[in-house]
Amino acid sequence: MFDLPSVSIPVSVFLYVYGAYMVFFLLYSLFNVYHLVRYGVYGFGLYTIVTIFTGGTILLAAGSVFLLMGYDWSAPLSLETILPPASGDGLFPTL
Amino acid sequence: MFRLDHLPNARPNETVVLFIRRHWICVFAIAVAFLFLTAVPLALAWFFWPVVSVWFAHPTFGPLMILGASIYFLSIWLFASIEFTDYYLDTWIVTNERIINIEQEGLFHRTASELDLAAVQDTTAEIRGIVQTVLSYGNVFVQTAGEQRRFHFKKIHHPERIKEIITRLVEEDKQRLSGHGKIKTVIK
Repeated sequence: MFDLPSVSIPVSVFLYVYGAYMVFFLLYSLFNVYHLVRYGVYGFGLYTIVTIFTGGTILLAAGSVFLLMGYDWSAPLSLETILPPASGDGLFPTL
Repeated sequence: MFRLDHLPNARPNETVVLFIRRHWICVFAIAVAFLFLTAVPLALAWFFWPVVSVWFAHPTFGPLMILGASIYFLSIWLFASIEFTDYYLDTWIVTNERIINIEQEGLFHRTASELDLAAVQDTTAEIRGIVQTVLSYGNVFVQTAGEQRRFHFKKIHHPERIKEIITRLVEEDKQRLSGHGKIKTVIK
């Protein structure tokens, strides 16, 4: 018989979704910097803005990667890990 | 890159009189929204840290929460950056001969137009509401002579002062042109 709670997928599947988002994010960020550099008024202010934006983006992306590296991405994600087990010691305790 | 000393299609003896951006309150609004959207989840995580720390340590929920948080904070950063770019690239340049109107709407819509000062028929300054009155910002509308077209300087600092300067420049430009006309008539 088909047992729903035994169906599991590796957590790494969500990395593909994250990767797709990062492609979108990087494209928009590049377009943004391109517009600033192409149409911005030449001067120290423009360089400061581009530096802050690029620095912030690198900092956030690097911070995310650093935090994500600490996990085991082969861990399975199944309904058993979401729903409370019989012992009642799950992620969401039974009421 | 755009240089104020090398304007597009610059005319002989043309000088930049005004370089206008929207009022700083527009940047302030972006900054407040950014800080609010950043601070609220961080404050909630700090307040409920005993519970949140258990979720972060979980082998499957931990990485999913980090992924979600990363997407959330990167989105806020990107949104704030695009909004700032929109503000930064919206400019109005008034020279002694023309008005250049550059408007950026999002990342993929940019409008650049110009009009000769001699074509200006009417200039209107508008300050609406308590906030605009206290912070001295508002709109200026520049109406051209023939067409229905008009330039709209949105949320700029000291609109009345800007209006006066444009009116003076228009008068000077018209006098200068009529002076040239007289010379031409004499030569004929």
